[in-house]
Amino acid sequence: MTAAPTQPASARPPKPPISWKVPAGIAAFLLVTWWAGSGRFGVGLSIPELFAGLERGQRIMEDLFDPRWQAWRGLIGPFIETLRIAILAALLGCAAAFGMAVLTSRISAPGLRSFLAGKAVLNVVRSIPDLLYAMVFVAVFSIGPLAGIVALILFNIGVVGKLTSETIDGIDTGPLEAAQAAGARHSQAVRTSVVPSVLPNFVAYSLYAFELNLRASLVVGFVGAGGIGQVLFVALNGFRYDVVSLIVICIFIVVFLVESVSIALRRRLV
Amino acid sequence: MIRFRNVTVEYPGGVRALNDVSLDVPAGELVVVVGLSGAGKSTLVRTINGLVRPTSGTLEVDGRDISSASKAELRAIRSDIGMIFQGFNLVKRTSVLNNVLMGRLHLVPRWRTMLARYPADDVEVAMQALERVEIVAKSYVRASNLSGGQQQRVGIARALAQEPKVILADEPVASLDPPTSHVVMRDLQRINRELGITTVVNLHFLDLARAYGDRIIGLRDGRIVFDGPGSDADEQVFEDIYGRSLTADDVLQAKAEL
Amino acid sequence: MTAPHVSTSSTPTPPSTAEKAVRPDKPRRYGPMGLALTAAAAGLWAAWTSGIDPAAILRGPEQLVRILGLMLLPPDLGTVPDALAGMIESLQIAWVGTIIGAVISLPLGLLAAKNVGGRFSTTMARQVLNLLRSLPELVLAILFVSMIGLGPLAGALAIGLGSIGTLGKLTAEVVEGIDRGPIEAAEAVGGERFQVLRWGVLPQALPEIMAFWLYRFEINVRASAILGLVGAGGIGGMLSNFLSYRRYAAAGTAILIVIATTIAIDMVSSRIRRRIIAGPRGPKPTADPIPSADAL
Repeated sequence: MTAAPTQPASARPPKPPISWKVPAGIAAFLLVTWWAGSGRFGVGLSIPELFAGLERGQRIMEDLFDPRWQAWRGLIGPFIETLRIAILAALLGCAAAFGMAVLTSRISAPGLRSFLAGKAVLNVVRSIPDLLYAMVFVAVFSIGPLAGIVALILFNIGVVGKLTSETIDGIDTGPLEAAQAAGARHSQAVRTSVVPSVLPNFVAYSLYAFELNLRASLVVGFVGAGGIGQVLFVALNGFRYDVVSLIVICIFIVVFLVESVSIALRRRLV
Repeated sequence: MIRFRNVTVEYPGGVRALNDVSLDVPAGELVVVVGLSGAGKSTLVRTINGLVRPTSGTLEVDGRDISSASKAELRAIRSDIGMIFQGFNLVKRTSVLNNVLMGRLHLVPRWRTMLARYPADDVEVAMQALERVEIVAKSYVRASNLSGGQQQRVGIARALAQEPKVILADEPVASLDPPTSHVVMRDLQRINRELGITTVVNLHFLDLARAYGDRIIGLRDGRIVFDGPGSDADEQVFEDIYGRSLTADDVLQAKAEL
Repeated sequence: MTAPHVSTSSTPTPPSTAEKAVRPDKPRRYGPMGLALTAAAAGLWAAWTSGIDPAAILRGPEQLVRILGLMLLPPDLGTVPDALAGMIESLQIAWVGTIIGAVISLPLGLLAAKNVGGRFSTTMARQVLNLLRSLPELVLAILFVSMIGLGPLAGALAIGLGSIGTLGKLTAEVVEGIDRGPIEAAEAVGGERFQVLRWGVLPQALPEIMAFWLYRFEINVRASAILGLVGAGGIGGMLSNFLSYRRYAAAGTAILIVIATTIAIDMVSSRIRRRIIAGPRGPKPTADPIPSADAL
């Protein structure tokens, strides 16, 4: 930069220098992307192979676009089981999630120790994918819906616990102070000021968790945790893509219906 | 009723909000505390019910020592002290009655609180408190649906539901328009007169302070710089308390005419 | 300044008689009660008809403790190198998949935003996004595995395709929520459609959209850790083998690696997200940016 020897008072400011962090960040991003995408070190992303794959997949595609409609009767039972799994997991999981949320918000936690412990537990619970829970609980309870229910309960604790705890973090703490100033115990103050403030949000998250469970039950069924997923797994293993496609369509419809109801309810709640 | 003895409050970071304050408030008095923001008014009021703990000195309310009280003792003392807040501090998503019932929490067993099943006697007290501030018709309305003045009256009812010996009000009218401010101040004055509840109010506006205070206490930089009856507090006194000449912002009446 | 005084003229009218009225009756609120009763009834029905053996539930904790004991006491350190390699492959899958999802979802999301796309393109884009959102990644992974063969590429494509739905929807929501002013300004100076997008829309929406990409990356890390179950690469295949052959110690070690990696990624990513949203010197927000619960 060359500054004029006698600068007038309203000189144009020099263009602010770009921090070295920006190009360094972009370079790091590109490097990681190349590394992760390359055939040698990473997943081997290549466009030609993609097109070759699409050609090979033609028969699959044809089957997928020609669903085997007459198989619908066999799906009713598994769907009802999926519904049972989703309901029980949402009810039990969300109830537990509320307790976890109260423990893991700075505002409502009864003490530092329970706050830190709750936070650690919630982080671990959230870090495990739903399917991994299902695998472990199939080992614990053996094959059947019970494993699916318990897996989804933990999954819901993670999702709803985090969302609710963040909602509690965001509430106005004035009423809590007012309750304490009136001589209330901590538990009473939380019950009377925090709970009513977040209850509508919590119910909305729980409805959302129910939707997620319907989707997830597809997946947890893969490892033998009951429901429609188990049927899907059998169809996939048997290369019955026409049945796969019917199942996917049915799930699409069920999720769509549940989602519409739950969105309407959520809108009235919050 | 309230006895400060050499109370000093220092916040983390070294800010000294109260500096060697000694003060006696006899039962039944209505005291108005004035001062600039940052002078320690809010700290003074919050020290009385232990929301702020003194760094040194002793503080007694109704003969009980706040400065050394245990958690349970503090709850017991607080239950005798009602508090009214600048921002009302109501739970917006629940009914007016539930908000007022918060004033009964110290008497209600925990399981009843958890199930929100309050004894009929406590509901009766809450209703009477609402009647006293003339807002009982709104008992089952959500608090968020009330105007600011109505919300502050619910705040007063919540304090009254405690059946307190002392009422503290921290800038109770700062969020309200001038006519509503007078309604709230007159409610406080009436309650002080009728029920004989010792009342300490923080105010900024000097005309309100003079109109409603039996006694005015001026705070500046955490020290008491004036203590006398409202009639003695003329403009000169307020200029001394504020440490500057008065402006239109210091007078509610002038603000109303702006 | 004139001497301040309190005049009676400013005293307001007393509260209206309506407020002095007698105590109102307690109103009945049927909505919440109905919701609670429905939930309870559904729960009872599900529990009643599930056919789950209560004895199995009672045996559960004991079994769980036993298996956790086998998994963690002691961990199988021999599997650490393999498990780490698998986890790195999972991370690569998540990274590539997220980039695929981001690149495709950005134009789709813009098209799906009512204030950018035309009416026809908005409807079409929304339907495509809805359809993609309803396909679980695992199903996509199986399809890709059968098309292009076993391996991480199938996983990356599944993750990528699976991310388009939510990312596109969130992009559309963010774009619809932006301030109209800059768009009008860009139009007013005669900008073409693309220029309006570049200078009126993107600068406002991009930080939040990028935050969602990162958020989706966190989710994709979890998803990619299980795709191996169907042969789509990453640590999942290993895990499922260990569990089916009852090699619990090895499985426990692999699970610990998954947990540690996801928690570490979450922490770094949420810090970066906050910085993107608030700017380098901006205030620190307390909660994560989650405008709609669908982000999860």
